[in-house]
This record gives sequence, structure tokens and C-alpha cells, in this order.
Amino acid sequence: MSTSERIKAIQKMPGTMKKKREIRFVSLSSFALQSFRRFGNSLSEYFHLLPLGHKTLKIIGANFGTSVLSYFIFLKWLLAFNFFSFVINFSFITVPQLVAAEPNNLSFTGLELFTGAGYFQETVLYYGFYSNATISKTENGPSYNMQLAYIFTVGIYFVICFLILLFSMAKSFCRNFINPQIHSGIASKLLCIWDFNITNEKAVKLKQKNISMQIKVQNTGEVLNFSATERVVRIVIHLVCWVASLGTAVAACAGVYFLSINNLKEVVKGHKNDLESQAAMLVLPIVASVLNTFMPFFYSWLGHLERFQTPGHQIYVTITRNIILKISIVGILCYYWLNIVAASESQCWETLVGQDIYRLVLVDFIFCLLGSFFGEFLRRIIGTIVCVNLGLPEFDIGRNVLDLIYAQTLTWVGILFSPLLPGIQMISFSIVFYVKKVSLMMNCQPPRKVWRTAQMTTSFMFLLFFPSFLGVLSVIGVTIWRLKPSEECGPFRGLSSMYDAVSEWIKILENYTASKWVVWIYHNLITSELFFFILSVVVLIITYLYWQITEGRKTVIKLLQKQITNEGKEKRLLLEKLWELQRKTENPSMPRGQGQQVSLIVQVLLFQLRAWYDFMGFL
Amino acid sequence: MGNKQTIFTPEQLDAYQDCTFFTRKEILRLFYRYRDLAPQLVPPDYTDKPDVTLPYQLIGSMPELKDNPFRQRIAEVFSENGDGNMTLDDFLDMFSVLSEMAPRDLKAYYAFKIYDFNNDDYICKSDLEKTVNKLTRNELTPEEVRLVCEKVIYEADVDNDGKLSLEDFQHMIIRAPDFL
Repeated sequence: MSTSERIKAIQKMPGTMKKKREIRFVSLSSFALQSFRRFGNSLSEYFHLLPLGHKTLKIIGANFGTSVLSYFIFLKWLLAFNFFSFVINFSFITVPQLVAAEPNNLSFTGLELFTGAGYFQETVLYYGFYSNATISKTENGPSYNMQLAYIFTVGIYFVICFLILLFSMAKSFCRNFINPQIHSGIASKLLCIWDFNITNEKAVKLKQKNISMQIKVQNTGEVLNFSATERVVRIVIHLVCWVASLGTAVAACAGVYFLSINNLKEVVKGHKNDLESQAAMLVLPIVASVLNTFMPFFYSWLGHLERFQTPGHQIYVTITRNIILKISIVGILCYYWLNIVAASESQCWETLVGQDIYRLVLVDFIFCLLGSFFGEFLRRIIGTIVCVNLGLPEFDIGRNVLDLIYAQTLTWVGILFSPLLPGIQMISFSIVFYVKKVSLMMNCQPPRKVWRTAQMTTSFMFLLFFPSFLGVLSVIGVTIWRLKPSEECGPFRGLSSMYDAVSEWIKILENYTASKWVVWIYHNLITSELFFFILSVVVLIITYLYWQITEGRKTVIKLLQKQITNEGKEKRLLLEKLWELQRKTENPSMPRGQGQQVSLIVQVLLFQLRAWYDFMGFL
Repeated sequence: MGNKQTIFTPEQLDAYQDCTFFTRKEILRLFYRYRDLAPQLVPPDYTDKPDVTLPYQLIGSMPELKDNPFRQRIAEVFSENGDGNMTLDDFLDMFSVLSEMAPRDLKAYYAFKIYDFNNDDYICKSDLEKTVNKLTRNELTPEEVRLVCEKVIYEADVDNDGKLSLEDFQHMIIRAPDFL
């Protein structure tokens, strides 16, 4: 083993420091003990200073437990995505454009910060500003093809995001969902439930009360048997609640759709830039955010009405309803943008879409801050001064995480139309982080309900990946392949679809012999259906093989468990025989039989040992 | 990056860095915390390896531990002779295992020892009863406690000897993703 592996093994070994020091002295050579490694260690120390809010996270975890901490960790993770996107968009798309920028003739009024239109229309913020030319500083100098840069930057960013999300989700799923419990799991619940992170006295007391309540519930009612009529009533109530929630989601979507169509008529009709028309542009985002803020309360109320069997079930159903609402709102907006706005007679439809998304993101951010203010600060005032029975508010993890997923979905949709949007979202997430932290410390109490952190974290990652990211990928796919970019603005003006930039580039490359391999890869791997068919078949075969291996291993586990139980029984049997033998040796009336019994027991033990080794060899 | 501290020899610091999950700065910070508990007992110079032990009362009054219902067991498990009085080595060891960088297997091993009140390498029923009482602050009736302990042993005892061995415990921890 190399030195670093040996050191890692020493660190992970259980035992006192003294023992570890002895082992370290024996196993590591004198060279390894030298200060050569100290350099690497002190370097890594400086990297430890970098993580934003590391100490903050520790304080949150200490006072509120790991469940609330998971929200802040998720927020930091999303911040990392936005930071990465902003950096590559800025370096590869914006900086070259700034070099070849046209002057901006519009005036700047303060209202642009809210509406995103006006002065901002002619800046690098939106798609429309980017030129389709090949930019070069000097004549015959190195040139920079803006079209290719734009499409490749966005494409590669999404591919990298896809891979990161896929691997994180798979790793998290593997850690938290595989090996489901066979029993109801009270043993693991009891022995693993203590959160050693909590150091706040109030939080500790709350957690203890929580555990005792859980144990009482577990003891009294395990299986509630309902009579037939009661079951029918419950099913009817469930159906009614689902119909209500889906109906309200559909109604919300229809409202948003008609409002946006109205909006578009106003924008296309008149180009006046006065206050009224600017304010009218903000109505759609405000309505969308209001729906997103108040419908979850309605869904929680429905959840209370339904009286689920387990609180975990209630949490999952409420989260599902919320995510259906949010994704359908984003979906209907995408449909509106891609079908109506793209086909309208406006000058530069991509910039319009970008502005819409900018306004949505901004208003969502403002509503998030307002929600924190009203939901937590005022609620605390009400809970402590006016109506003391209510008590302090709890931090609603589910609702907050879904808000984050909604905001991130909007950002991802908007990357193509407004390349600097991730930067704006980065700033907004940072502000949200600090506001939520302050609000949490000042206003909230630790959660009273049990929140299975590890599983919920995996579910949230899954929700981020599956409806959110894949939906965005399909929207971007449709935009790039099917839609006609506007004639007068943007890097793809004049082409029949954005993807044509790539096909035209390949056509140009065919004329150079040096890059024939690129053309070959393009024609035979990326655009050929046969390749993807073969790839899918290979992936399916590998999946099937892994599935069979898993099934086989499950059988082996069952056999081994039976073996362990049998070994335990045999051990007890042998011990009993030994005790009997010991009692008989104290009675010296049968000397010869004693020798026989000893040899018999020794034979049995040897046989057992051999059987055990055979079994291990079989494995 | 030079050696400006005079508390430990470079070899001692290297040994600490290799045996715990802490960096040099964190080890020094922990030393200062240890010293702050009893400045008159702990010398500022550890180069000649003095034999200093702090009594449990001081350790148990640290803000990280004072509200933890298992603080006494934690101190006993990590102290050299099991009475809760800790040397600097034990102190660093304890915080290393409790930190977030320690792997789950290591934490599971020490959690087992913490829950094993009578130190016989098995969690028997009486150990479980004490654990449940500490977890719920003595709010349950003895009957409920007994019921819970029986259920736990029934579910987790794989080799059917009526008590939980380290292997049973670790087997259960693997299946519980929420273990911290």
C-alpha cells in the first residue's frame, strides 16, 4: 500500500491514539515520516478556508439538526451550478462580445432593473445583442466564431450538468435507498436516531420529546385496521383531494396562459416605453409568484384534511402536488414561449423570452424574501405576543426546497436566451442564503416532526433531475432543432434553425483534410441513428446483467443469514454439552466414558470448523 | 508555512495529523480549547510529553457536550482507563471521531461502545433500557421501555443470542442511511 493509503487506514482504525502511534511508527518508513508531506497538508489547509459559510453550516446544524442543514447544503450545491455556468458563459460568450460591442443608444431609467427591458435590451444580458459575425481584433488575426461559441458553450454546459446530476443522484440513491428494511425498522430507528450534531439545549429537549412520542405511537398502534365503509370513505376523500389539487393546478395554468397571451398582444401592438406599459409587463410574473406562494398552503390544508396513515406519506403527497403545480406553470410558460412568441411578429422573440424569464426570476426572488419576512418574522411576532398558543414557526424544508428547484428550472430554461442569467441567480441565491439563515436563527424553532433527511435529500435531487432538468433539456432541444431564430438579431440570424450553425460548420470542415476525423465522427456517431440504437442495446444488456447479479446476491445473503442463525444455535448447544461434561467431571464415577465424551465433542467441533471453511470456500 | 509554534515538536504534530482527521491548525485550536478548560493544569509546552489528565467534570462542561445526554458515556469510552478523565490524546481522539470527516464505520464502532453501558462488548437488554431512558429523558413508563427493548432485540439480533454484538449493530447501521 502506498503511504497515503496507509495513513488513511491508520486514521480509520478504531483504537486509542497510543496504539495508532505505535502502528504508524512500525508501518511507515522514515522517509514518509519526514516533513515532505507537511507541504501538501498545509496547502490543503488553505483550501479549507475557502468554502463559503462552513462555520455557518456548523452553527445551523448544531442548533436545528441535520434536516434543516440539508436545505442549506442543497442551496450551496445549486449555487455551485450557477457559478460554473456564469463563469463559462462569461468567459466564452460575453467577453468576446464585449470586445466587439456596438454602442448602446438607449437611456437608463431605474425601472429597467425590474422589467429587464429598455436599456438592458441592447446589452450583453440578452441573446439579441450577440452578433453572428466572426469576431477578430485585427485583420487576418485569430478569429472567434460567435455562432459556434454560443451553441457549443450552452451545449457543453448542459452535458456536464447532466453527468454531474446523474452521478450525484445515483450515488445518493445507492447510499440511501438500497437495502430497504425488512422489518418496520424500530431497531435502526432507535439506535440511529440520535443526531450527535445537535448541541443546543432546547433542540436536545425537543428531540428527546420527539423520540418518546414516536416510541409511544409505535407501541400503541401498529396496524390500524379499517372497516369496509371507513376504507371507502378514505378512498373517496383521497380522490376528491387529488381532483381538487389537479383542478387548481390546471386552472392556474390556464390563467397564466391567457394572461401571457394578453401580455404579448400589448407588447407587439405598441412599443411605448412609458411607466404603464412597463408595469403591465410585471403582472404576469407577479401572478405566477402569487400562485406559487399561496397554493402550497392550500395543498398542506388538503393534506391535513386527508389524515394519512403515516406522516411520511403526507409529506410525499404534498411535495408531489406542489411539484406538479410548479412544473406545470413552467411547462405552460415554455409552451407559450416556444409556440406563440416564437411565431409572433415581434422583432426579436428570443430577447422577449429572455426578458420574461428575467422578470420571473426577479419577482420570484422578491417573493422569496417577502415570504421569509411574513412567514417567519411576522408569524413569530404573532406566535409569541398575540396568540401564544401557536408558538414559534418551524422552518418548512419541503416548501423552501421546491422554491429553489423552481428558481433553478427557470434559470436553466433562460440560459439560452439570456447568458448572464446564472450570474443574477447566483447573487439572488447568496442573498437568500443569508436572509434565510438570519431568519432561521431569529424566528424559528427546531423541527418537531421526524424528517428522514437522507431519503428526502435523494428525493429532492431526483426531483431536480427528473422533471426539472430533463424538461429543460427537452425545451432547449426543441428550441435548437425546431424553431426558426429571428431574422434581425442574435448570433443565429438568417439560419433556418440554431443547429444549422453546426451543420454548416461541418460542411466547411469537409474541405480541409486535416479535420476529416471530426467530420467522420459527426456523420457516423452523432447524427447516425444506428450508433445510438447499438448504444441503447448495449446499455440495456449491461443493466440486465447487473440486475441478475443483484438477484443472485440477495439469495446468497438469505443463505448466509440462515447460516449465522444456525451457527448461533449450534454454539449454544455445544456450550451446554461442555457444561454438562464439566459437571460430570466433578463426579468421578465414570472415568472411561469421560474420555469418550471429550473426544466426541472435539470431533464435533472439528467437523463444524471444516463445514464452516467449506461454506466460506463456496463463496 | 514555517514552524512558528512551540507547543509540539514537528514529529508530534505529524503523528497527530496522521492519526486523526484534523489539519495542523485544527489540532492547535483543539489544544487551546483543552488548555482553556484548566489553564493551571495544562502546560503550554507538550514537547516533553507531560502526563496530564483533565477530570470528567471539566470535559463534560464543554458547550459541545454539556447538553448531550450521552456525554458521560462518550467521555468514558474515549478515556484511557474508562473513568471519564481525558488526556490530550483522548481529547483529540474523541473530537476526531465525532467530526464530520470520520467515516461511518468508525462512528458505528464507537456508537456501539457508547451504548454498551456495562462494557461487556454486547448490548444486552439492560444497556438498551438505559439507552432508551437517556434518549427519551425518562418520559416513558418502564413497561413501554421494556416493550421497545424487546422489539429492538427481536429485530436486530441476527445470531439469536439475546443481545446485540458489534456485528449485529454494524449490520443494522449499513441499512440505516440516517445514522450520523
